[in-house]
Amino acid sequence: MNYKLVIRMLGTILILEAALMLPSLAISLCCGAEDALALTLAALITLAAGLPMRLLAKPESKNLRAREGFVIVGLAWLAMSLFGALPFLFSGFLPDFFDALFESVSGFTTTGATMITDFSHMPMGVTFWRSFTHWIGGMGVLVLTLAIVPQFTGRNAFLVLAESPGPSLSKVAPKMRDSSKILYLIYAVLSLLMFVALLFCGLNPYDAAIQMMGTAGTGGFSNYAASVGAFNSPAVEIVVTVFMTVFGMNLSLFYALAIGRWRDLVRSEELRWYLLINLGAVLIFLTQMLPLPEYNWDFGKTLRHACFQTATISSTSGFGIADLNVWPIAMKTVIVVLMFCGSCTGSTAGGMKTMRIALLFKQSKREIQHTFSPRRVNVVRFEGRGVDEKMLHQICVFGIVYAALVVLGGVIVSFEGHFDLETNFSAALTCISNVGPGFGGVSGSFAGYGSFSKVIFSMLMLAGRLEIFPILILFHPNVWRGA
Amino acid sequence: MQILVIGAGKVGITLAEELLSEEHDLVVIDRDEEVLQRCQDTLDVMCVHGNGANAKTLIDAGVSHADIVIAATASDEVNMLSCLIGKRLGAKYTIARIRDPEYHESQTLLQHELGIDLAVNPDRAAALEISRLLRFPFASNIESFAKGLVEMVEFRAQAKDVVVGCRLRDLNARLPGLPRVLYAAVEREGVVTIPTGEFQIEVGDRVFVAGDQITITSFFRYIGRDTRQVRKVMITGGGRVSYYLAKLIVPAGMRVKMIEIDAEKAAKLAQDLPQVEVLHGDGTNQELLTQEGLEHMDAFIALSSRDEENLMTGLYAASQGVGKVVVKNNRVNYVQVVNRLGLDSMISPRQITSASILRYVRARISSQGTKVEKLYQLLNGKAEALEFQVPAGAPWIGKPLKDLRMRKGSLVAVIVRRSKVIVPFGNDHMEAGDSIIIMTCERGLSDLSEVIQP
Repeated sequence: MNYKLVIRMLGTILILEAALMLPSLAISLCCGAEDALALTLAALITLAAGLPMRLLAKPESKNLRAREGFVIVGLAWLAMSLFGALPFLFSGFLPDFFDALFESVSGFTTTGATMITDFSHMPMGVTFWRSFTHWIGGMGVLVLTLAIVPQFTGRNAFLVLAESPGPSLSKVAPKMRDSSKILYLIYAVLSLLMFVALLFCGLNPYDAAIQMMGTAGTGGFSNYAASVGAFNSPAVEIVVTVFMTVFGMNLSLFYALAIGRWRDLVRSEELRWYLLINLGAVLIFLTQMLPLPEYNWDFGKTLRHACFQTATISSTSGFGIADLNVWPIAMKTVIVVLMFCGSCTGSTAGGMKTMRIALLFKQSKREIQHTFSPRRVNVVRFEGRGVDEKMLHQICVFGIVYAALVVLGGVIVSFEGHFDLETNFSAALTCISNVGPGFGGVSGSFAGYGSFSKVIFSMLMLAGRLEIFPILILFHPNVWRGA
Repeated sequence: MQILVIGAGKVGITLAEELLSEEHDLVVIDRDEEVLQRCQDTLDVMCVHGNGANAKTLIDAGVSHADIVIAATASDEVNMLSCLIGKRLGAKYTIARIRDPEYHESQTLLQHELGIDLAVNPDRAAALEISRLLRFPFASNIESFAKGLVEMVEFRAQAKDVVVGCRLRDLNARLPGLPRVLYAAVEREGVVTIPTGEFQIEVGDRVFVAGDQITITSFFRYIGRDTRQVRKVMITGGGRVSYYLAKLIVPAGMRVKMIEIDAEKAAKLAQDLPQVEVLHGDGTNQELLTQEGLEHMDAFIALSSRDEENLMTGLYAASQGVGKVVVKNNRVNYVQVVNRLGLDSMISPRQITSASILRYVRARISSQGTKVEKLYQLLNGKAEALEFQVPAGAPWIGKPLKDLRMRKGSLVAVIVRRSKVIVPFGNDHMEAGDSIIIMTCERGLSDLSEVIQP
């Protein structure tokens, strides 16, 4: 393990995080400055922690192996969440340390599960920071570091691979730095489009920015208790629905679109699967919602809400227009399935990713076929080409570990004895899939859990965002031993 | 520049590393997914899986806006086809590695018809370099510039050399008869310096001197080196390099003994090279070497396919008193170790290939300005010698060299004016149309304006 290199990288990331707190500070100063002191203090402490790490650690070799890459990603996210919790803590917004940590992790991992129960008084700067963590976490901090810090060159494929969602890496330019820059630019442009669209719907700039960041990162933090429903505006709901779906797509497809290769968009098999799954969910939701007294066969409103509900879960945003507990049981079950699936590779969303679901499906089909025609040679194909057996194997393992972590999480938190089965398991699933709300006691806030459970949920969220292995690897003793 | 490298083999990877360090955008194509994965993990490049001679793969890799396509797969045919298709699909320049002697014979026609801008033949390039070493046996490495007018020669300073232990600026005063050559670069304990007048050469230094052929030869005669022509040569290994080498040196009057372990190959060589004495046997067998008169040889050249074998037999030959020993060795990491043991002349076809491709790429970088005519990497790329043409209208034309603002660590080594070689001093100047050779410790320079500030 090249510790000095790891420390230096972590230092760089903390310095960057301190800089990222500045926009929130600016907002705070503009809007009464009640939390300006807390944000300034948090930024200074983060900087004070980062600077010596960056300046004093002088690695002899800049050689980054897979091991260092994964450890850096895992530790970077832990460190960021830790320091990202400071503004909540200092401002008295969430005075309990574990609450603040949970909120910070939930923000960076774009989960959107919250500890807040009282939405009546939200300090502007800290609330902006809370949503801004979504925006940063959506694309990833190391990707951002790579795009803007000049010395970050060399073997950095591991870093980006560990941080970007999905089993494969989509590079849009030969150099990782250029690729990261292009993807961030696409992200920024789409975010801006959404911001403008929300302004047109009549939102004030602050509200528009908060909802935009929650959507772009597919996080789901809002500054109102009723979330997007608080605006009571069909137009806002439609804009948010469309952009949640957009940010659940592979962002490199938009690059293809921008350079005129729209065929890539049409040909993308993952996108087809993603849209088909969403369409299926919308249809099921329609049949379930139409008879409800609230909708009473009003087709237009039902369709709008069915689409919103589908997009908010499948993109793993977790914005609410209604408490999940009010839905019929069939709908809740489909929501659980959608939570597992998540969105596309290379998007800002969580879940297992459509590509893995599609490949698990195809592989199962092949194995079934194999039992009745054992001699048939059958290759699993995806995006028009054969998929490597090694990758299929990895995806199977991923699926198993993913499910195992949901079960494990549910079992561990049950020892605190706070809620029922439905609540505990749905909470574990919603955390690892980075969705946000769950069923039962966690349809609104996670505040009912104890400190221990909050830590467990924080780890689950990080594991889900980094696709499990960068976090699990930190617990393996061999990683820390030897050279 | 956007560069497509087809084939992630040893040459492809070496090349990719070098090109990356010069900040180019690279796309690597290979058919082997495992090799490609390793490439993706270690290099900052885009990897495309597929056959480089397949139009669809090339289009996926972005051939239409590629500046250069480099085809370096193991197959000549695939390389040629890739270049042909690449050029048709819009690549500006194409480079192919072509090794088979049969294609070499019709190279001009093939190159023209297939739109290949540069055909690199590593084996023939290696053979050429060895043949030059045989002409100057006192040199451990040699490179010629300005159409062969200037030679740059490396030697290892020994205790009896008169140039040792004296400041370079005092040399000509102390040794009035010493032919005037330029001391271009010195490597001492792994560090390369471009020497100034205050520099002193010490025993064990690897020194590069530049000058015209006659001056160089008389320089070495003056400092007491053996400058007699090589007459008898023994070669172990009968691969392509050996074939090309024999073709080059036999007409120059050298007598060649070639040892090949494979009977069929030996028979074929005997048929193709009637003037060479081909022996069937193991080139690592010391008894065979002695029987065939190793100690009477002027030169011993180890060219088998195994680097380690070459190094060992080379060391053995040197211990038997053979004056000139050249070994083929593709492993750069061995060079330092073996140099310490006393073998200085090592030839790496892989490095020659990548150097000649690099030079070509670098010459394509600047669309205007003065391009590199020739690039030579000395001491494993720690220093470079670059040849330029002096353009008409440069503001520094006619100014004495001592008044020019040169880039740090660079120097004008040689000026060639109307076929006359000038080893310049501070008061000399450059004229339009001169060929000049720049020595530099920096890498990646591609334009004269980067070296001399106006």
